[in-house]
Amino acid sequence: MKKLLVIVLILLSACAAPWIESGGTYRALSHNFYVDIPQGWMRLNTERYLLISREGPFLQYVLIQDRPVDRSFRHTKKKLVKDMLPEEAAQVVIDEIVSDQTVVNLEVTENVPTEINGHDGFRLAFTYRNKDGLTLKTIYYGFIKGEKLYSIRYTAAKRYYFEKDIQAFETLLSSFRLIKAGAERTCAHHKNPFKLTRQYPYFYTDIY
Amino acid sequence: MRYVLSILVVCVTAGCVSTTNASPQAREAFVVEEDEKRLWQRSEEEQEVLNGSGLIYEDSILNAYLRKIAAKLQPSGFFSQVPFEIKVIKNPYLNAFAFPNGVLYIHTGILARMENEAQLAALLGHEMTHCTHRHALKTLRYLKDKTGFLIGVQAALREFGGVRDLGTLLGSLGSRAAISGYSQELEREADMVGLGLMVRAGYDPNEALKLFKHLKAELTEEKIKEPFFFGTHPKLQERMENCEDFLRNHDRDRETGVKNTEIFLTKIHKAILDNAWLDLRAGRFQPAQRGAEKYLRIKPNDAKAYYLLGEVFRQRGKDGDTKRAKAYYEKAVSLDPFCGDIHKAIGLVFYKEGKKTLARRSFETCLSLSPNRGDKAYILGYLRNCNP
Repeated sequence: MKKLLVIVLILLSACAAPWIESGGTYRALSHNFYVDIPQGWMRLNTERYLLISREGPFLQYVLIQDRPVDRSFRHTKKKLVKDMLPEEAAQVVIDEIVSDQTVVNLEVTENVPTEINGHDGFRLAFTYRNKDGLTLKTIYYGFIKGEKLYSIRYTAAKRYYFEKDIQAFETLLSSFRLIKAGAERTCAHHKNPFKLTRQYPYFYTDIY
Repeated sequence: MRYVLSILVVCVTAGCVSTTNASPQAREAFVVEEDEKRLWQRSEEEQEVLNGSGLIYEDSILNAYLRKIAAKLQPSGFFSQVPFEIKVIKNPYLNAFAFPNGVLYIHTGILARMENEAQLAALLGHEMTHCTHRHALKTLRYLKDKTGFLIGVQAALREFGGVRDLGTLLGSLGSRAAISGYSQELEREADMVGLGLMVRAGYDPNEALKLFKHLKAELTEEKIKEPFFFGTHPKLQERMENCEDFLRNHDRDRETGVKNTEIFLTKIHKAILDNAWLDLRAGRFQPAQRGAEKYLRIKPNDAKAYYLLGEVFRQRGKDGDTKRAKAYYEKAVSLDPFCGDIHKAIGLVFYKEGKKTLARRSFETCLSLSPNRGDKAYILGYLRNCNP
């Protein structure tokens, strides 16, 4: 009975998914990258992504994700392929966003090739309105390496907050490195038996 | 299991709604009652969100046509009481729904799937009946003491594919109309009254059954539950049987009624192609191909439709698809040699095949035709890689 109680408590604490105050180099071993987190930002890492924010994810956040190319998207049935051109991968990401009807008044303002610390990738910029009427702006960098799409995105309320932290994001981006180029991460499910069950706002889950 | 339970709750509770709470007033003076006014007001608020979302498909010719068909189905005087308005939503999934204040939303997906005006009349008749027979009001009155029910329904039904996103965007009224539908009894009433409306307007009621059959085929093909216009409450099969019963009882000696296929396809052809692009973006390659081919039957020499077919096969990327894509691009470029997009697509195929000279030629042609395109930076990168 005591054991059961302990398990329940552990599971409950895992479900709470606490934010941790962070700053400095953070090595996401299970996601195969490291990055410098700005001082004073809060970190939340889950099995699927690393999320950081200064004032809370409804105002601004940076999300870094290593997404297996064969994982299905939520809104488009298109699939990524490991030898895709960056432009083709960018198109799949855009189509995923376009096919999500909770993202309204979407405007893709930029879709260009770029290099992300030695990796050929793409950079997207887009604005959209969420269901609460807030206009958000996102800068999305992505590249395919091995079996993964690595994405580093910054989203903030277009008014005031976006400009406020864009420099912090650019600094963070320049610090982004893969730990092992082309390495596959070990299965996170095996490392962490606690499944997150908390529901996060749709706009910063792994929908794209 | 959570979904199954949620759906069960929705079905059981909604299924209890009686059709006797508020009598149908389609042919009588439609006096808007107090609680109904609030319902209409709420509808307007939800519609404002939807109308400002950028999801509304704008085509003045199509809109005028839809209004005309709706007017054929309802007596003219009735429009002054329930101001019917029909809007089209850019969404490739098969659905249509009505708000209680007479505003109907039809997805491009279901429009593109229809074959003729009679099928459109069947759909409009069904949706208009939800308004004229006050199905939302009846449901509201039935549920008014069940706190939180609507919120629960909305949350549960968001989990359905296809339009769950739209459900998130809509409020509880829109979600009910668009996703959960009404009770079995009310949906049956909408089917039967809708069939009566189309017959009275001179349409062939057999087309309603064909629409059901198309939808059933779509559900099978997509291996999904599409619990929308025809998909739920009662089950599709049961509704098809109800429709067959109606047709058996319909006076066979009377004229069959019209289908108006040609005029219908003329009016909606643009939506067919635009919807096929939406299908492609959603990764629904087969419906996208079907849409483009349907469009080509209406406009046989349209370069853009051939280009779309090329894109379908290039992006699907199965064995033999590149060859098929190339053939469609070549057909497209023969019809319109001045379209930069087509040259770029051909260039991409050659580029990926390692045929750099051919790729360079296509990319250069593309940029000469549209020098300020948004993807110029990508093309310049390809050209750099094509240099010997």
